[in-house]
Amino acid sequence: MSCCPSPERLIQLNERFRIFSELADDLSGLQEYPPRPTFSAKDSLCAVGFQARAGSRILEGYRPPFDATPVWRMRQEGMLLIGKTNMDEFGFGTFSTNSGYDVPRNPFDEDRACGGSSGGAAAATSLLEGHVALGASTGGSISCPASFCGVLGLTPTYGRVSRYGLIDYGNSLDKVGLLARDAATLRTWLPIISGPDPKDPTSCVQPMLDLTPRRVERVAVPKEAMQNLSSGVEARFAESLLRLQEEHDVLIDEVSMPSLRYALSAYYVLATSEASTNLARYCGMRFGVRNSNISQHFNDFFSETRSANFGVEAKRRILLGTYARMVGFRDRYYMKALAVRQLVISEYKRVLQDHDLVLTPTMPFVAPRFSEIERMRPLEAYQADFLTVPPNLAGLPHLTLPCGYLEGLPVGMQAVASHWEERALLDIAERWTSRFHVRFPEVSL
Amino acid sequence: MDIETVRKVARVARLRLTPSEEMQFAQDLEEVLQYFSLLDEAPQVETHDFNPVRVADILREDEPSRDVNAERLRDSMDTYNDMVRGPRLS
Repeated sequence: MSCCPSPERLIQLNERFRIFSELADDLSGLQEYPPRPTFSAKDSLCAVGFQARAGSRILEGYRPPFDATPVWRMRQEGMLLIGKTNMDEFGFGTFSTNSGYDVPRNPFDEDRACGGSSGGAAAATSLLEGHVALGASTGGSISCPASFCGVLGLTPTYGRVSRYGLIDYGNSLDKVGLLARDAATLRTWLPIISGPDPKDPTSCVQPMLDLTPRRVERVAVPKEAMQNLSSGVEARFAESLLRLQEEHDVLIDEVSMPSLRYALSAYYVLATSEASTNLARYCGMRFGVRNSNISQHFNDFFSETRSANFGVEAKRRILLGTYARMVGFRDRYYMKALAVRQLVISEYKRVLQDHDLVLTPTMPFVAPRFSEIERMRPLEAYQADFLTVPPNLAGLPHLTLPCGYLEGLPVGMQAVASHWEERALLDIAERWTSRFHVRFPEVSL
Repeated sequence: MDIETVRKVARVARLRLTPSEEMQFAQDLEEVLQYFSLLDEAPQVETHDFNPVRVADILREDEPSRDVNAERLRDSMDTYNDMVRGPRLS
């Protein structure tokens, strides 16, 4: 099924591309015959034998005594967990550059970012044959890096995969998903990680995963998503639509989805509001960094630990979310954002009544250089998520597929399906990749 | 967002900011909040939910069980005579 790298090559790749926050102590399973298939887990997923730091200094030293359910289910199938992958701190970022540890490098160009926040997961998938990575998405953290690193990224419906053992970012938005090099791998592992888990009540309302064939015949392209794209991405996406029509007999309709313009604001209000409450638990007592200065008043004790160990973007989002929840602003921001989410869900439902999928590019540009990212203002970075945020806000399953290359860098196409209709995503993934040659970087060490 | 508001929010969130952080966050958050004002233009919707899919009747029976070894949890915290040690409350 897979061709594993030797432990030496894995270590060399990691030194060069900064994929993992922690590699397994024992990599001898890579040399067994037949070799054990490998997987990795984003550092926000708990796994016995590893620290779980979610890219944050404040969780330094936290070693969970249990596996996250998706990790446990993969291990039950005999998969070897080779490492925890680098990410933006708590998932707060679009480029994996907001990490308290290492910043992963794009396998196609080391001066460029992998995307975020599951950046290490995407790099691992791109570099390691047969690899499957567990990622997590709140607002696009699987789609974005999968697109920048030229692999497939599947974000299931909200509630499809148990989040027990996932370090929370935004509870009404977080989803665990898969990154892989081919559609068959997604079809194999989605059923393994899916299904009800009494330890995560939101996973217990799902209808059973149905992967019987559902042929994609008609798709919608919202015109609102075709603005603010780089010309290269726009061109590759247009060529892909033509190929879908000509090679796969897919009908393509341009539609209007005016509510998409409100999705980004609503998302950032909900995500930061929920994150700011979730991060209240990190205070120097229970997880990770321990503050031994207990003679202080608790206010000073908590503030000291948090101020010294949260990164800049984490502080920015805590401030934003705390502000949005304060007395007097709750109706204006939080409640309004909840209403906008319903509006966006209704609009997708309307369009998906007559279409199997909604298609857009995944990101408005190809993987940017680190020097370009440094010059971005926070709002500019948030706005880069405008195509990945709407399906995440709406809890809809979505998939990114490599659909072209621009000066050697991958361009991604994003497909969004109705709630619980992951099978439509697998159909398009299988048909598209049967005719499209997905490229992987050739790395000589 | 003015500096005074940043300071007030930071106190609520148990964050101590340096003067340069206060300046930077005031500027960043002002720009983001201006962008959020787009929400004021969104059409009114009668219903809203706290989750994107319907989540109801999900509570399981309240039966005691031991998922995680209590000693391991204790050992990962600062303890004294089997009690968790923390800062002063007053």
